[in-house]
Amino acid sequence: MSAILETDGLVKEFGGLTATDDVNLSIEQGELLSLIGPNGAGKSTLINLITRMLEETEGDIRFEGESITDLEPHEVVQRGIGKSFQTASIFPDLSVEENANIASLGAEHGDFRFNFLVHRNSYPEVEQRTLETLEAVGLRDQRNTRAADLPYGDKRRLEIGIALASEPSLLLMDEPTAGMSPEETQATVELIEQLQEELDLTILLVEHDMEIVFSVSDRIAVLNRGSIIAEGTPDEVQGDPSVQEAYLGGVEL
Amino acid sequence: MSDEVKSAEATESGEVDRSPSLYDRWAAVREHEAAVAALTFLGVFLAPLVLVVLPEMLGVPTQYIWYRSLIVLALIWGIFAVGYDLLLGFTGLLSFGHAIFWGTAAYAAGIFSANVTGSPIAMILVGTTTAVLFAWVIGWISLRRGGIYFAILTLAFGQMIYYVFLSPLGWLTGGENGFTGVEVEPLLGFLPLGAEVAVVPDAIVQTWMYVFVGLAAVLAVVVGNRILNSPYGVVLRAIRENEQRAEFVGLNVWRYKLMAFVISGAFAGVAGSLYVIQRSFVPIENTLNWTVSGEIVIMTVLGGVGSLFGPLLGAGLYMYVANIVSGMPAIGDFWHMILGLVFVLVVVLLPEGLWGGLTWLRERAAEAFGGEDR
Repeated sequence: MSAILETDGLVKEFGGLTATDDVNLSIEQGELLSLIGPNGAGKSTLINLITRMLEETEGDIRFEGESITDLEPHEVVQRGIGKSFQTASIFPDLSVEENANIASLGAEHGDFRFNFLVHRNSYPEVEQRTLETLEAVGLRDQRNTRAADLPYGDKRRLEIGIALASEPSLLLMDEPTAGMSPEETQATVELIEQLQEELDLTILLVEHDMEIVFSVSDRIAVLNRGSIIAEGTPDEVQGDPSVQEAYLGGVEL
Repeated sequence: MSDEVKSAEATESGEVDRSPSLYDRWAAVREHEAAVAALTFLGVFLAPLVLVVLPEMLGVPTQYIWYRSLIVLALIWGIFAVGYDLLLGFTGLLSFGHAIFWGTAAYAAGIFSANVTGSPIAMILVGTTTAVLFAWVIGWISLRRGGIYFAILTLAFGQMIYYVFLSPLGWLTGGENGFTGVEVEPLLGFLPLGAEVAVVPDAIVQTWMYVFVGLAAVLAVVVGNRILNSPYGVVLRAIRENEQRAEFVGLNVWRYKLMAFVISGAFAGVAGSLYVIQRSFVPIENTLNWTVSGEIVIMTVLGGVGSLFGPLLGAGLYMYVANIVSGMPAIGDFWHMILGLVFVLVVVLLPEGLWGGLTWLRERAAEAFGGEDR
């Protein structure tokens, strides 16, 4: 196994506040690493640094061995880092099929093409991928539905479908079950496990639901006040006294 | 438009057992590009018959009805509005500077006609190229900011260019008098635009000017429709809906926005050149003045943002109020207020504009004829 993503001494300061403090995180090919930590621990900042929504203060981020700190967010996506958002970040006024179609265009055509006079019919490979994406998240029958009219759980599935259409090698999942009913949560967990197995995805999961984290993770990294205070298998992390102290508050698990 | 394409397809493939109703068949036809072209062609070239000849025959007093050159003017503004809607309605970018592209194209075409050749087609090429260059530079700078800042930047550029053309470049542009030396030559060298078309009945086109502008308008709709059916059609709407997500499927959102800006600038350029060809004069107040940037927003919103044909209707309604209602006895002097009232009524009652209203009517009709409800 080799590291697909490494952060090297990553620091992010907002004014006087250090949101990410010298983080050295390494994600191995094919694993599911969960990032946990109390509110304000810097999880979102770390995700935003990796996706290049934020500019780091210091340090380096390497993806597949190459630094990505000079790239734009869409270039990072083109390299193979996908992201699924905390809220169902979809294109509400477009149909489900069009939602998947956009993702397929980004995947098949790269970040830009000068093809505004070419009919969409001339790209069967894009249509093919659109269909595959819809199949993968089980929304093919709803493809003509306006995305805004889907039930919340289906919106989140569509969201994940959009993130997957570009066939990322690393998927960042920001609280994929936030706001879901228990049934929807269960379905999403199954989807994550299935994705990891079938697509050989590497996943970085940010999640608050400890039950999910401890059941699906290969490894867990615990972030507190911008620093990683523990890292290891679920068992190791669970037993770590500093984690219990800082985050779990001594709750028996 | 394009989501309707898919539902039409779904009707064909998904529900084989159900014989398609008249409305479904009509809907399927309507979405083919050739059908869009043919319908636009019919609409454009039947307009004089419907708007001028028929009302005259019915005895409507002439001061209340359209005249031919006004239809030409409305078509020219319609071309402008179709392009503007690609930016406002489909990409979700509100520009307050589109007078720049309409106006610089008008000046370029006019000055070119005075100094090089007055061939209408060459004038359009020169005008449109100028507009595209301006759009590229101004878009490149303005699109670094979003929302209200983008709108203000485009407005600021518009004012800058207006004053530069008004005074420092007055020796070239004619300053506040406008550029008067426009020399329009016959189309293709032998068809004077003002001359009557010999073969076609007078009721339909009358002059070559109408044919020329009418064909340009049809072409504008056809190109606009193709853009909406190209990958840009979904990408631009995706940017309007959720820019961040579009970035996160790996699309270079900024470059697509710039392309939308430049494409709408090109439409404005074609329209601005045609405007000069029609008027044989470049009035600065009707080309580079910031009010033009406002008028195009009003026309597009009146007609219906996010629709292909709506902006044409909006341009028509605006032209009617500004040129016919303004000449009506008693109420004519209040035409600005009437336009304002019409605008408020449309925005409040028909948030999707005139075209949205027509779509609503069509859907009600579809229900009545047993078509698929959508």
